[in-house]
Amino acid sequence: MRRALLVAAAAALALAGCSSGPADGKVTITFWDNNGGPGRTPIYEELIKRFEAANPDIHVDYVGIPSSSVQQKYDTAIAGGGTPDVGGVTTSYLSNMVGQEALVPLDEKVDGGPLKGKLLPSLVETVRQTAPDNKLYSVPSSGNMDVIWYRTDWFAEKGVQPPRTWDEFTAAAEKLTDASANRYGYTIRGGAGSVFQLLTEAYAYSGTDSFFEGGKSTVDAPGNADLVEKVAALYKKATPEADVNNNYTQMVAQFTGGSAAMMHHNLGSYGDVTKALGDKVQALPLPVGPSGKRTVVPNPTDGFAVFRNSENQDAAWKFVEFLTSAESNSYWNEKVGQIPANTDVRSQPWIEQNKPVKMALDVLEDPATITVPAPVYLPQYSSITKADSEPQYQKVLLGQLGADEFLKAMAEKLTTAQQEWEDRK
Amino acid sequence: MTETLVRPAVDSPPPTPPQRRRKSGHHDPSRVFRLHLPLLLYLLFTLVPFYWMLVFALRPTGSTALVPWPMTLEHFDTVWNGIGFGVFFTNSMIIAGGTLVAVSVLALMGGYALARFQFKGQRVFLLALLCSQFIPGAMMLIPLFVIFREAGLLNTLTGLVIADTAFQLPLALILMSGFVRNVPVELEEAAMVDGCTRLRAFFAVTLPQLRPALVAVGSFAFIGAWNNFLFALMFASKQDKFTLPVGLSYALGEFNTDFGALAAGGVVAAVPVVLVFAVVQRYLVQGLSAGAVKG
Repeated sequence: MRRALLVAAAAALALAGCSSGPADGKVTITFWDNNGGPGRTPIYEELIKRFEAANPDIHVDYVGIPSSSVQQKYDTAIAGGGTPDVGGVTTSYLSNMVGQEALVPLDEKVDGGPLKGKLLPSLVETVRQTAPDNKLYSVPSSGNMDVIWYRTDWFAEKGVQPPRTWDEFTAAAEKLTDASANRYGYTIRGGAGSVFQLLTEAYAYSGTDSFFEGGKSTVDAPGNADLVEKVAALYKKATPEADVNNNYTQMVAQFTGGSAAMMHHNLGSYGDVTKALGDKVQALPLPVGPSGKRTVVPNPTDGFAVFRNSENQDAAWKFVEFLTSAESNSYWNEKVGQIPANTDVRSQPWIEQNKPVKMALDVLEDPATITVPAPVYLPQYSSITKADSEPQYQKVLLGQLGADEFLKAMAEKLTTAQQEWEDRK
Repeated sequence: MTETLVRPAVDSPPPTPPQRRRKSGHHDPSRVFRLHLPLLLYLLFTLVPFYWMLVFALRPTGSTALVPWPMTLEHFDTVWNGIGFGVFFTNSMIIAGGTLVAVSVLALMGGYALARFQFKGQRVFLLALLCSQFIPGAMMLIPLFVIFREAGLLNTLTGLVIADTAFQLPLALILMSGFVRNVPVELEEAAMVDGCTRLRAFFAVTLPQLRPALVAVGSFAFIGAWNNFLFALMFASKQDKFTLPVGLSYALGEFNTDFGALAAGGVVAAVPVVLVFAVVQRYLVQGLSAGAVKG
């Protein structure tokens, strides 16, 4: 009896907690920003203000979640049944959320509204390939692309042309190195996050157009091994010795601190590098290999998802549609320096001024570019490429392990993981 | 005036102990190498990170100076007003303060019961308390989340106080029962012979003896709740309910980190903890050794 009373009291409390919305005819939706912080929160606050002005019957509750804990927060919320209405998600954990049946597929909604045909196909494809059923569980909002950041002033000083091929790249790195002045041509990411970058380089070099062929991983393709050898050969010769332990922060510090002429990262470091180096820094696409084909391994794609548990899915969708509309999408991506997913933004004047974004858009829109999505949908993908492979890559850099062996071991694990995934599908 | 100055000198025994200590230092120069130098090194080792944090918090963005001069408070302004540390600080204070009160009161009652009464299943209960220490907080997240959702306690400071209290209580109970055992039961019995009720005897005789215990248990609870990141992150989904640790991780972007703001936030978060430790450290030492030797 007492237990029944308790349950009833709890239920009453829960109901009281939820019923704040409809009383004044206003719907309240909750929006979780997956990368909240002082840099981005104000941009969303402005967009929400605009949205609420245009939709007076909808109120948006903004919650900024630190990007380092967002996956755990989503997992807890899904397991505990406390998901928001709309959430920012990236493809790196999208498949996990789709697997828990937390999200609503959005294909029909996109096709039935103003977004139809307005989203950059390569980004849409990246999102689709993340889900086992190939449906669109998030509307892509921003793209990111791997680039080589380089010091235009040093290049001019030494009379070096921006490299287009990997051979030109290594030649440039060597030519720009002046160890006595503590200047190096390149800085390698050897520590945390290294293998993600290495793989994009390897596929760009070999021109291999898929991560799996007949169910077998192509990570150990001969061209890929050549690239790993080339990078390892640069280590200590054209790069600082400390690079073997570089994580993102240290690598950026090498570059912005003036000890490296080139750095491989993505557009996300735009803010950091331009703040430190101003107009002395520019971005190049990753060089191409002997095949001449340009292959791009897409970065995790940011987008917005609607949650299945949402009681106001229509309002939630309205908000997603608003965030990815040409105007909002342009405002957002201009502020953070990323690739807008809405193709109508292409004609905005800021794109012409932001050279790295324009360069990346040109690459992604070029029909000759082949996108090779990494199998981030594999539950083991992250542990294989990080925990298992990063220490091994350090051995390669230090000359204790062959590039072939290193890639072969990774390929075997990926093949097994892929087979398990196929079996479960 | 003169009298009060003179009297202690006359009344108190000659201050020999400090003199002796100073003397032995003079006579034994190797003490400097054996004790003072290693301690100094250790102190440097502990203080450097704090100094680093202060330097980052006080020098202007972009400066690489080792001494924060010219000094600026811009980072504190950023975190306090821009990021909202003012709100986070208040929330953390309420949660840590609430946890302190709840844990102290419950541990006092429970610890007394464990020490003074025999009851069925006492050993099993103690064992359960001990075992609860092995369960990591992350394991309790989802069940707690569901319970809190049903009870309407998500997004409330009350919910966080309850969660933190539940998490801190087992250790506090174990500690407190050790303290109570150290207070001779004869004192209470004597008071009851003199006509006190058990409750009166407790308040008049036992409680004053337990003051160091309360300080120790309370400060552990305060600091535990103050530093708890996981519960605050998971159970609070509104910016205005965030706590300092969540606020700190919020200052860390995926690609860009404002080190000045982060360091200033770290200072804000560290100051109360340092203050608490400075005030209660002598009680803490007593508290940790209490129960170690059966009195």
